[in-house]
Amino acid sequence: MTAQPATAAMDADVLIIGSGAGGATTATVLAEAGFDALVVEEGDWVEQGAVVPFSLEQMDRQYRAGGVTVAFGLPSIAYSEGCCAGGGTEVNSGLYWRPPGDVLQRWREQFRIDDFDPDELLAIADEVEREISVGPVGGDYTEPSEVLRRGANALGWRNGEIPRWMKYPATGPIGGDTANGERQSMTRTYLPRAMTAGARLAVGCRVDRLVTTNGRATCADTTLADGTHGTITFRHVFVCGGAIQSPALLQRSGIRGQIGRTLAVHPTVKLAARFADALNVPDDVPVHQVKEFAPHLSFGGSASNPGLVALSLLDSWPNFRQAITQWQHISVYYAAITSEGRGRVRSFPHMRDPVVTYGLTRRDRELLRSGLSRLTLLMLEAGALEVYPSFKGAPSVRNRRDIAAMQQAFSATKASVMTVHLCSTVPMGELEGRCGANSFGLVHGCKNIHVNDASLLPTAPGVNPQASVMAFAIRNARRFVANGGRRA
Amino acid sequence: MPEAHPQPLIEQWGVPHTTVVTGAAGWLGRALTHRLLADPQRAHVRLLAHSTAEADDLRRFVDERTESGRDRVDIIIGDVAKADTAARLLHQVGTDSDVLHTAGVIHPKRVRQFYDVNTNGTRHLTGAAADAGVRRFVHVSSNSPFGTNPDNSDTFRHDEPFNPYLGYGTSKMQGEIAVNEAVAAGLDATIVRPPWFYGPFQPARQTTFFRLVRSGKFPVIGKGDQRRSMVYVDNLVDGILGAELTPAARGRGYWIADARAYTVAEIIETVGRALTDEGLSVKPPTTHLPPLASRVAELGDRILQGLGIYQQQLHVLGEMGHTIAVDISRSTAEIGYVPKVELYEGMRRSVRWCIDQGLEL
Repeated sequence: MTAQPATAAMDADVLIIGSGAGGATTATVLAEAGFDALVVEEGDWVEQGAVVPFSLEQMDRQYRAGGVTVAFGLPSIAYSEGCCAGGGTEVNSGLYWRPPGDVLQRWREQFRIDDFDPDELLAIADEVEREISVGPVGGDYTEPSEVLRRGANALGWRNGEIPRWMKYPATGPIGGDTANGERQSMTRTYLPRAMTAGARLAVGCRVDRLVTTNGRATCADTTLADGTHGTITFRHVFVCGGAIQSPALLQRSGIRGQIGRTLAVHPTVKLAARFADALNVPDDVPVHQVKEFAPHLSFGGSASNPGLVALSLLDSWPNFRQAITQWQHISVYYAAITSEGRGRVRSFPHMRDPVVTYGLTRRDRELLRSGLSRLTLLMLEAGALEVYPSFKGAPSVRNRRDIAAMQQAFSATKASVMTVHLCSTVPMGELEGRCGANSFGLVHGCKNIHVNDASLLPTAPGVNPQASVMAFAIRNARRFVANGGRRA
Repeated sequence: MPEAHPQPLIEQWGVPHTTVVTGAAGWLGRALTHRLLADPQRAHVRLLAHSTAEADDLRRFVDERTESGRDRVDIIIGDVAKADTAARLLHQVGTDSDVLHTAGVIHPKRVRQFYDVNTNGTRHLTGAAADAGVRRFVHVSSNSPFGTNPDNSDTFRHDEPFNPYLGYGTSKMQGEIAVNEAVAAGLDATIVRPPWFYGPFQPARQTTFFRLVRSGKFPVIGKGDQRRSMVYVDNLVDGILGAELTPAARGRGYWIADARAYTVAEIIETVGRALTDEGLSVKPPTTHLPPLASRVAELGDRILQGLGIYQQQLHVLGEMGHTIAVDISRSTAEIGYVPKVELYEGMRRSVRWCIDQGLEL
């Protein structure tokens, strides 16, 4: 079961824009409730396994702009967005984190989310976990994952395996990597389920804007893969393009309000660590994370194919270039922080892509420094021979004294800060002057335009947000169904 | 009364024949010496004083506390920064001896003194201690080799990467590195790391702290929500003795602080209450400074220290904008350190001590 190419004139009861964690789950709920649902996706359908995970080919085929997009600021923050059927769920590490209970409570109270029971949301999370096969690795951990565990244990730091969306074979040798497991994602789970229930998926279709009158959208102007234009008419629309594309589309459609003003991310800095033994696993990431300093600091492993190892050495290339010849002995790790900063997504006329900006606070910069140095210490404790932090002019680190020099040389403006967790550009709730959508994702001031993706999460949750996105999307879609498709 | 949790049994040595204390005339040195003299099993105590005047003063201090002072206590005069002092101090102490190294410079006139005393002094002493074959060397370090916490909610764990805060922090970091190198070469040494400590035997300059709180002029930066670990000086003495007497503590480092960190606002409120309860009038805090003031002070401190100049007020104000919070759970588990006196009680005792000494608060 795959998608159909989009055509110039389409029509649906409910249009769903985007097929990622938000769009695919929304389509499933609506189609199974009998709605005529049409999902449009800008990217292509790429079968799992057709491209090597974390490879350049994957960057090209499944990411927006080849995986390189930037939020401007001091420092600028590189981010990546999936752009394919299934969206970000196709390209991420597949590590699964439920939204923390205290975060849900805080969202409910501070953003005044009506009729919201965190327990109900966690019950939905149970369903999701069954559907996408969330579970621990069935066999041995990879060595890059063992490094995190060993280093953290040596320091007495809390760490653990993060379950992931992966199916493992019932028989035969089981390893902790994608070579043996079968990665689950929207193209393997919710999208086929939605289509079985009657939903249509049209790929290669970008929505340029929604045509609205008096807060009611009637049709969408589209651009197809061959560059021609088209139109889709509908009664209701769910915008599920992710935290950058959703607010950008609303802005292009002339919708004002709290749209795109409060981008939240988990800024991340990286290092490469070299070990005596060859440990590099090019096509998978570690399943361990270190949560001793959570929520404000988390450590984990990054994709580490030779290209990405080179990328992580690039900031201090004159100092670090020698290391690349030993890439098999190197793995890349990250330190992520919760940020008190805020970003903006702005669309300008005649520009295809929005301009994204993000400002880190002084405290954020301090946390990035501290995170990088604590992660460096962990690497030394795990037996790293040399650590290469990713910032311009960074010295390499071989012992504890070197960490002091590294910390003094660090400044966030010199660092390669990146993020893959983008949220909160259309926060949900009834708090006036802050929320872009109501407690169920209906855009404030609009009659039939819903947002149902990471944009709704009121703040960055401090953990991988995809579980939260799926659970909220299902909750909101069910509410829409319960209201018979009338205004929530 | 809550039931006391039984501590896991920690194997400890008995006290040694000879206990050597550097910086004995200092604040911590006096509190430590006071405790050592109260223990009749400490047969021989050797104290290092910096000058003849200090030695005379220490002799009076000793005589007030023990009748057998002339037999039990000898006082050596010398400067730890000078290479020959350590050898004289440890001359013929024998192997049944421990060295408690509290000497250090916190507020010098010139930045260079940090390195002369805190780094080179420590190196001289560890060398002499290794030569003498002492049983245990306890090095008193600080939070400063580790800088400040990156976020007000953050707490330093048992083991943290070095991030020295300016000249003092760098000199103390190099002191720790000297100790670690000596351990690698065979010395039996342990490090203790107190943050801000307070309590009896404080030098006169510390009364400024109480005076500022009394007059409502202690500078509160922003909302005063920075957290600070503190330690009552007697608790610190407990920690030093735990580190001295625990064989398994070799080569390790321990935070010695109160059970939890306090916010600056809580510290000021508690000190105000302690002063009031000791019969002194206290005005509510009025000196609220924006975080920028602390940052400007820190920048000024940085620039001056770059020129080799140390200015105490700038330094203290610069550091007030930061959180310095530490986790002592490993110290409890491994050397049996349990803080006995908490902030309010400790501050009351400090105030009473100042009043008893006739100090103007």
